[in-house]
Amino acid sequence: MLQAIVSGLILGSIYAIIAQGYYITFVTNRTMNFGQGDFLMLGALVGLTTLGTVTSAGMNLFVSVLVTMVVVAAAMAMLGWGLERGAIRPLGHVLSVGWILSTVAVSLMIRNIAMLIWGRNVIPFPSPFGDEVYRFGSVGITKHEIFVAICAIVIMACLFFFLNRSLLGKALAAVAFNPDAASLMGINPRRMAVLAFALSSMLAGVGGILVGPITNTAFFMGATLGLKAFAAAIIGGLTNPLGILIGGLLLGVIEQVFSLYSSAYKDASAFLLILIVLIFMPQGLLGKKVKEKF
Amino acid sequence: MKKWLLYLLIALALYFFPWLFPSSYYVHMAQGFLYTYIVVAGLNLLVGLSGQLSLGHAGFYAIGAYVTGLCTVAGVPFLLSLLLGVLICAGAGGLVAMLSLRAKGPYLAMVTIAFGLLVEIVANRWVEVTGGPAGLYLPEAKLFGLGLGTVSYYWFIAVIALVVTVLIDNLFTSRYGRTFRAMGNSEVAAATAGVHVRNWKVLAFAISACTAGLGGALFAFQNAYFNSDTFTFDKSILFLVGVIVGGAGTRLGPLVGTIVIFLLPQWVQSLYNYHLLIFGGILLLSLIALPEGIVGGIQRIFKQRNQYSGTPSLPAPDSDGPSQMGSRDGADLNVQAAVMEFDGFRAVDAIDLQIKGSEVRGLIGPNGSGKSTTVNMLSGVYVPTKGKLSWKGVDVTSFPPHRMAAAGITRTFQNLQLFHELTVLENVMLGFHLHYRKGFAANILHTPGFLREESHFRAEAMRLLQFVGLAEKAGEQAAALSYGQQRLVEIARALATKPDLLILDEPAAGASLYEVDNIVRVIRKVKDSGIAILLVEHHMEIVMNVCDTITVLDFGKKIAEGDPAFIKNHPQVIEAYLGGEEVTKLVVG
Repeated sequence: MLQAIVSGLILGSIYAIIAQGYYITFVTNRTMNFGQGDFLMLGALVGLTTLGTVTSAGMNLFVSVLVTMVVVAAAMAMLGWGLERGAIRPLGHVLSVGWILSTVAVSLMIRNIAMLIWGRNVIPFPSPFGDEVYRFGSVGITKHEIFVAICAIVIMACLFFFLNRSLLGKALAAVAFNPDAASLMGINPRRMAVLAFALSSMLAGVGGILVGPITNTAFFMGATLGLKAFAAAIIGGLTNPLGILIGGLLLGVIEQVFSLYSSAYKDASAFLLILIVLIFMPQGLLGKKVKEKF
Repeated sequence: MKKWLLYLLIALALYFFPWLFPSSYYVHMAQGFLYTYIVVAGLNLLVGLSGQLSLGHAGFYAIGAYVTGLCTVAGVPFLLSLLLGVLICAGAGGLVAMLSLRAKGPYLAMVTIAFGLLVEIVANRWVEVTGGPAGLYLPEAKLFGLGLGTVSYYWFIAVIALVVTVLIDNLFTSRYGRTFRAMGNSEVAAATAGVHVRNWKVLAFAISACTAGLGGALFAFQNAYFNSDTFTFDKSILFLVGVIVGGAGTRLGPLVGTIVIFLLPQWVQSLYNYHLLIFGGILLLSLIALPEGIVGGIQRIFKQRNQYSGTPSLPAPDSDGPSQMGSRDGADLNVQAAVMEFDGFRAVDAIDLQIKGSEVRGLIGPNGSGKSTTVNMLSGVYVPTKGKLSWKGVDVTSFPPHRMAAAGITRTFQNLQLFHELTVLENVMLGFHLHYRKGFAANILHTPGFLREESHFRAEAMRLLQFVGLAEKAGEQAAALSYGQQRLVEIARALATKPDLLILDEPAAGASLYEVDNIVRVIRKVKDSGIAILLVEHHMEIVMNVCDTITVLDFGKKIAEGDPAFIKNHPQVIEAYLGGEEVTKLVVG
């Protein structure tokens, strides 16, 4: 049981990282990347290839992991920029659900391209840190899981710092609050939207590197993970990053605990959880209630 | 009757199709096309008309398939199983709608996604019953003991598809379609016109789930075998793509959309390695190039060509007042110590208010004094934190907007809430919501009684438009009118509910001078016909000229009440507006 909770927390922190991507774009311009899962898949595969190349070039372990992270983040940021320019901005908000389909369309194309490059088979993603397991009483933690935990903490800390303290983060928040007023203050809301999508894609890519060694990688791996991260974001409340963190962890733990009983329960539990949360808290756990004015 | 000729032609084409393409491959494809079309047409009702979203329609599709399939396996006749499957889907649809009532936007999307995935998981994992990925073998579909072969099963589907098309088309052009559309445009305005929004949402979901289930059941019997691999999230997305790319909310959209989502994949299937790339690319391009869908885009072009096509020419009735409202015993509102708090902030603080008979009551006060909150409370949009509202001796404190409307209180909106997709005339016709008597069956079948009722209320609505001076704009889209005209349409729509108390929330804001005169004229006439008015307004000229009594609010409290002359010289009112002694000193120096 304790083992399930610990590995649930690890998995949940990855969900939370991906889910923060939904948060950032949603608050800046009310859209999200429904293909976040496929972006994650691409991050994982690019990460795998980069890691392979770098390590075979004989670099030190930590340096190569760092290089991989940077390469993936940069590639995904470019992709996020492209997504915003190509699939979000041209829609012009005519239809409120258009962005769902346009981002799905992009994700389909990415899935197809990934299949062409990396093939149809599941590719094992060996953790760069090996399979060594540390034992703490009855709980076993792999080196990779520790790496995930550290990464999650660092990423979350950076993200919270960026959103709450940095000038750029404040500009993002300003656009989220009122794009018109923000643009009068000299902030370019469109640039902020691009930034939001780039950030969101980076998070997905890094999430991919973290999750790869746990689930292994294939071109079709993204869909479920993306949906689960979306569930985490909704459970926590789309407008609250702290809530999303909690939502992600909660989802991960519940899944792992249920998987002790049966793998069918594991998959179902995530979506049952979300139905239950939304019935009682339609804004998620920590989402803000908005009283509409007429 | 042109419509029936068209249907007849389609029926003939469908009937002769197996002779034109006498290969089982094509007949199979036609079957697939038709049941997919049924699903998309139903989803279009939900997404295009009522403005909701479902990313879980594959779930209903699956439920229809499994319920119908399992029933026939258990020995229930095919037709009866089909009916059962469809009814259970309607129930499931209603349930999903109930679960997601308070959820909006992405939250609503998540509820439907979760539902679809749960159904998928059950289908996959409950192998003893569903067969899971290994599949479920079904007996041949039989109609009254007669086995249906490939071609006759195709005809069976064709008949159902045609019936569904006719019914849905009727629904589009009936008051049900109008109400769905109105609800999608502005929930709160629909509610103040008396629409019980929750029930209507559930209805929209149930209908849409019905057709999805029907499509699923027809799919299941196509090969007398199916497995759980069909019912994925991607399938739900595909249905939605059909609706959006075809043109959400248009009548032909689903047909075109189905061509895109069903025939296109067949065509690119040969390029197996690239088919997602091609499909995704086409989807993205069509979303960018045709944001309103293919049919929506074409309609736009047509509309620009002949602007003045839709204006209905009706005999101008000689009435010059809402006399047809035949009012009534007048208003009797009693507000006792009403308090409205938001997170500890008191927007309205213990207000007392009486409105009786057919008076015009002004409600004024500086910005932030609680006028809008008061209006929201009186119209049922907010429920007061404390205090009591009674109306004609009944306690209406916790009435939602649609019950307030039924009781006789309705309102207009400061920030306009017209149903922008509807025409001006349709906006007003929606105001009669509470007075329609013909039910769902009459509306969906277009019975003579329904047609009579429609033309009756069309004339009534026309008369109201005449009254507010907008008769010649009846056929235009509400969004195309000027600010002042839109405010008049809101007044006409509110009058259509036949209220005893009409709340006007800043009716003159943004109106031109000429329009202001017109609005004042309308207010006077409404008063003459025995309807009480609560007027919230910043134009002091209007307020002083029109109102019998004026109530002044400041910081959520009532600071004065009396006739215009009294209010004009009331020291506290002057202070509230001009800032009192300190300001006077500052100004005077």
